[in-house]
Amino acid sequence: MSDCPNCPDERAAGAAFCENCGKALATGETLDVGADCASCGSPGSVGDDGYCQNCGMLAGRPRDHVEADAGPVAAAVTDRGLRHHRNEDAMWLAVRGADVDVVVCDGVSSSADPDVASESAAEAAGKALALDAGVADAIREAAEAVAALATTGDPRRLASSPACTIVAARVRDGEAEYGWVGDSRAYWVALETGHAEPLTEDDSWASHAIAMGADPQAAWNDPRAHAITAWLGADAGPVQPRTATLRPDTAGVLVLCSDGLWNYRTEPAAFAETVLACVRENADLVSAARALVAFAVEAGGADNITVALVPLTP
Amino acid sequence: MAYSAEAFQNEFLALGATEVNAIVTVTSSGAEGGRRTGGASEIIIVDCSGSMQAEGRMAAARQAAKAAVGCIDDGVHFAIVAGVSTAQQLYPAPGQLAVSTPETRAQATSAIDRLQANGGTAIGAWLKLAHQLLAQRPGDIAHAILLTDGENGEYKGYLESVLQEIGGSFTCDCRGVGTNWTVSELRKVANAMLGTVDIVARPEDLAASFTQMMTTAMGKTNGDVQLKVWTPVNATVRFVKQVEPQVADLTGKRTEDGPRTGRYPLGAWGAESRDYHICVDVPPGAAGDEMLAARVSVVEGENVLTQSLVRAVWTDDAALSTRINRQVAHYTGQAELADAIQAGIEARKAGDDRTATLKFGRAAQLAHESGNTATEELLATVVEIDDAATGTVRLKRKVEAADEMALDTRSTKTVRVGRSQ
Repeated sequence: MSDCPNCPDERAAGAAFCENCGKALATGETLDVGADCASCGSPGSVGDDGYCQNCGMLAGRPRDHVEADAGPVAAAVTDRGLRHHRNEDAMWLAVRGADVDVVVCDGVSSSADPDVASESAAEAAGKALALDAGVADAIREAAEAVAALATTGDPRRLASSPACTIVAARVRDGEAEYGWVGDSRAYWVALETGHAEPLTEDDSWASHAIAMGADPQAAWNDPRAHAITAWLGADAGPVQPRTATLRPDTAGVLVLCSDGLWNYRTEPAAFAETVLACVRENADLVSAARALVAFAVEAGGADNITVALVPLTP
Repeated sequence: MAYSAEAFQNEFLALGATEVNAIVTVTSSGAEGGRRTGGASEIIIVDCSGSMQAEGRMAAARQAAKAAVGCIDDGVHFAIVAGVSTAQQLYPAPGQLAVSTPETRAQATSAIDRLQANGGTAIGAWLKLAHQLLAQRPGDIAHAILLTDGENGEYKGYLESVLQEIGGSFTCDCRGVGTNWTVSELRKVANAMLGTVDIVARPEDLAASFTQMMTTAMGKTNGDVQLKVWTPVNATVRFVKQVEPQVADLTGKRTEDGPRTGRYPLGAWGAESRDYHICVDVPPGAAGDEMLAARVSVVEGENVLTQSLVRAVWTDDAALSTRINRQVAHYTGQAELADAIQAGIEARKAGDDRTATLKFGRAAQLAHESGNTATEELLATVVEIDDAATGTVRLKRKVEAADEMALDTRSTKTVRVGRSQ
């Protein structure tokens, strides 16, 4: 029995993304030819190319808001936010029983086609994890996929190589192996104590400055604070993902997110508070993820927002 | 036939911005094997006014007309009109079109030998006769060559009313020989008839010019190609201009075609490429909104040959919205260049040397910046260019009439921007 509408692969059963063809099984808006226009209200005016035949507005971009719901096992939501014109974040979520593969990527806005970079990276890493690769190898696969983009398609990609960050986790038997490149983060939030543990250390100017002894507040206020020092892309040089393994000794939630979320909660304690509030106030995991995205949107929505939640027990 | 259209633009608009600009490049590889799919008709109109006797123009015109006849493909319908105070059909019999064969071309050639210069200039009447002859063959690729050496002698407003009536029904390439004709008048004819205009200062160059025009005409494979532009509700088309190979404003030639859609005539097409600048005003959107500002189709009748989309995406990222598209900037400059030259020539004629110097200076600067060396060289025949980069020029005291007319007629010629940059 296949759950994937795009290909007949049985491994897709129960997965939030088909592990074979990589197509999302659970997505947000899809193009609805002949639908009423959400902008001007004209009945049945959405044309074949997705634009309203009356007011010209695009009916919706599938990536603007995507949700992946794997019930109590995992959930992930990505959203365009308010200020960016498209969603340059991408995610991958696949589950098999209690096993989870999850990837969050954030396209570098100053590069060419960052949305393509993040999508390619998430897909390449996700597929590698599905074939039981380790996280470091999966990230290297993603790095190769993104680097290859520079020489395909639009010639502008040669001048400014498509680039993105990545954070990925592979959960097997209650343990999470995780790894990252760039400033997309992973946290461990303990449910009972509300203790938050940042699992990743940003490859960013601010992190390096703080590590070298700079005042954290001054470092974060520096205009260069968010400049990343490692990324995936043809111009990134050799990619060396940092990896570690999380073995929880108490019940909690593994959170993977892009800076569109953590920027509004830079302190781990505040971050944990918001995550716990969203988890407790919502009946299911995907609603909690959606609430976290809504929090970032209400806080300003200055960037694309992606968050993935994976509950773990010892 | 294979047509393709590609839009070049910066689709990102600042919040509150409403003006959308795009350059649409339309390229055609011509019909199957570069051959016409239907028929073609040609009319050659030669001015036989009395002034044509001067400087051996009549003899040169005879040579040129013969050269043009020699270029007409077998099977093409054609006629030759002698332009005097009325229009007289020289070949074949009045009201008829000949079918091109080696025999009819030989007959036409001997008829051309009978052309004599004695009469007036009546461009309106000549075009009207050409129109009547071509109307016998609807669906043909219809083309005419018009040669004159003087100003139109018809009563004021007659030529305009004829152009109003027959404008766009066939393509007419206009050539002025010598320097006693009026650039603005022939340009008006060429614009209305979707043709070209140029000066042939020396009669001996006429044959080459006629050969080139006829060869180009024979290369056309599609007769009546149009640009169909759809825009969203509450949007207005500010302008539609051809910007390459030369500037021609098509805005006023719009005919409505259903809701929010208009058609602009492009004339006949062969294997060639042209660029169009489309400017649309749209209602402003919110950050992240994406709007289809125009759907630009190349059509022949109801047949859509190719299509391209002009988009608008609003963002508060100034790095995106302030990015300047090279194509749009380049052709905006080329259109300004043509305007500056024409304004400079007018000011110089009116004795306003200050304005003329300013306009020619700006023109020199624009021509230099954009690498339009042909226009820069033409400018140098009218002004001394001291520093093209800053637009510093001095009016020349003595300017050859032919040079100024060449600058005027060729002011609309543009160069293409490098695509890779």
